[in-house]
Amino acid sequence: MKSEEIIIYRQKKRLRNIFIFLILLIMVIWSVDVTIVEDTDWERMGSLSDVLSSAGRFIGIDFSLFPDLIVPSIETFMISILGTFVGVIICIPATWFGAKNITPFKPLTYPLGRLLMTLSRSIHEIVWALFFVAVFGLGALSGICAIAVRSVGFIAKMSSEAIEDIDVGPIEAIRSAGGNGFQILIYAIIPQVIPQILGVIIFEWEINIRRSAILGLVGAGGLGLVFFRQMNTFNFHGVTSVIISILGIIVIGEFVSHKMRKRVI
Amino acid sequence: MSVLQVNDLHASYSSSGSEILKGISFDVAENDFVAIIGPSGAGKSTLIRCINRLVEPSSGSIIFKGQNITNMSKSELRRVRRDIGMIFQEFNLINRMSVMDNLLSGRLGYIGNIRTLFKAYPRKDIDRAIELLERVGLSDHIDKRADELSGGQRQRVGIARALMQEPELLLLDEPTSSLDPKISREIMTLVKEMAFELRVPCLCNIHDVQLATEFCNKIVGIQEGTKMFEGDPNNLSEEKLNEIYAMEVL
Repeated sequence: MKSEEIIIYRQKKRLRNIFIFLILLIMVIWSVDVTIVEDTDWERMGSLSDVLSSAGRFIGIDFSLFPDLIVPSIETFMISILGTFVGVIICIPATWFGAKNITPFKPLTYPLGRLLMTLSRSIHEIVWALFFVAVFGLGALSGICAIAVRSVGFIAKMSSEAIEDIDVGPIEAIRSAGGNGFQILIYAIIPQVIPQILGVIIFEWEINIRRSAILGLVGAGGLGLVFFRQMNTFNFHGVTSVIISILGIIVIGEFVSHKMRKRVI
Repeated sequence: MSVLQVNDLHASYSSSGSEILKGISFDVAENDFVAIIGPSGAGKSTLIRCINRLVEPSSGSIIFKGQNITNMSKSELRRVRRDIGMIFQEFNLINRMSVMDNLLSGRLGYIGNIRTLFKAYPRKDIDRAIELLERVGLSDHIDKRADELSGGQRQRVGIARALMQEPELLLLDEPTSSLDPKISREIMTLVKEMAFELRVPCLCNIHDVQLATEFCNKIVGIQEGTKMFEGDPNNLSEEKLNEIYAMEVL
C-alpha cells in the first residue's frame, strides 16, 4: 500500500470514530435530560448543603434498637435456611429433567427442565415475594417460598451440569453387574456429584441470607420488615442500625459458608 | 457345551456409522481363558462390550449358558448380567466409597432398592466380601476409600468385585493396560488363579501379546472387525501375528 492510501485510510477511520463519538454524546445528553433533569424534584432536593444534610440524617446509630433486632435477625437466618432447604427439594425434579444424560424423555423433559431453571432465575426475588405475599399474606412463609423458588435456577443448573460431566466408567460397572436405574443413580452418579452439589447449595444459601433480608421490605418477614418500619417512622438512625445488623449476619453467613464448603470439597 | 457362543456378530456404534464388527464367531468353553488380541481399533473393546450388551450388537447371536441373550428384554438381561462379571481397564470403582462398599456393589443385581438405599446387604455377602478381600491381599485396606489405593490395588478390588457376583463368565477389558509391567503380571496371575479355583471361564481383551500367550489357553485374533485367528497360542506363528497387526499404525 502506498503512503497516500494509508493516510486517506487513517483519515477516514478518524472521521468515522469522531462521528460515532458525537452520536453517543448526543444520546447520553438526551438520556440525562429526559431521565434526570426533567424527572427530578429539584425543589424538594434543595441546594448542595441541603442534600448533604439529608444524607447526614443517617449518620448515627440507634443503639437502643439492637435488642429488638435479635429476633428478626434469627428470623432472617431461618428464612434463608428453610428457603434453601425447600428449594433443594423442588430442585430434584428440575435437575433430573435438566441433565441431558439422565433426563427420562429428552425431547420433552429436557427443555422443560431448562425452562423451569430459566423461569426461576428470570424473575427477581422481590417479584416472587410480592407474588407470595399476595397469596399467603405478610410474614415469613412468603419469604421462604420466594427464596425456595428463586434458588431452583442456580442450584438445578449447576447440579445438572455436574451430572452431565460425570465419568461413565462407574455407570458401566454397575450396569454390567446387573444394577437397575435406581442403583446406578445411588452408586455411580450421586457419589460423583455430591461434593459439587453440596458446595453449590451452601453458596446459594449464603446469597439467600442477603435475599431474605431484602424480602422483608415487601413484608416477607425478618430484618427487612424492621427496616421498612424504621423508614416509615423516620427513625433514620434506626435504619442505620438495621443496615449494620444485615451486614453482620451476611458476614457471619460468609464465614460459615466458607468453612462448610472447605469441608465438603 | 460351551459357556459362550458368539455367532456372526455385527456391531456399529451408530445406526449409520461404519461397522466395527463384521461377523465374528467363536466360543468359550468351561475351562477356557480366552484372549482377544489385535491392533487398536480392531473392535476388541466393542466385542467384549457386546457380550454383556453394554454395546448393542446390530445382528448375530450371543448364546450364554444355552440362552440367546441378544433378544432378551431389559429385565431378563439384568438377571443375566449378574452371572457375567466384568473387569475394566480404568478399574471403574466408586471412588468416594470404601473398598468394602465397592466389593458389595457387585451384589447389587441381587438386592432391591430399599436395601440399596440403606446399603443393607445380607450377612453372607459381607462374609464373602471379607473372604475375597483376604484372597486378593487387601484385608488391611477394607475401610479405605477406593481413590486412596494404588493402580494395582484398585484392580484387585475390581477383580474381587466381579467375583462377588459369583459369575459364570468373566469379561476383562484390557485389565492391565493402566498398570506397569510387573503389576500387570501379578494381576494376570491373580485372575488366572482365582478363575481356576472358582471354575470361571474368562474372556480377556488384551494388548500385550506376550501376556496373552503366557496366560491364555486360546487366542482369538481380530483385525478390522474380522477374525483372523482362533486357536492355541502355540500355533500362533510369527507370520500370522504380523498379519493380524499389519494394519497397526505405529
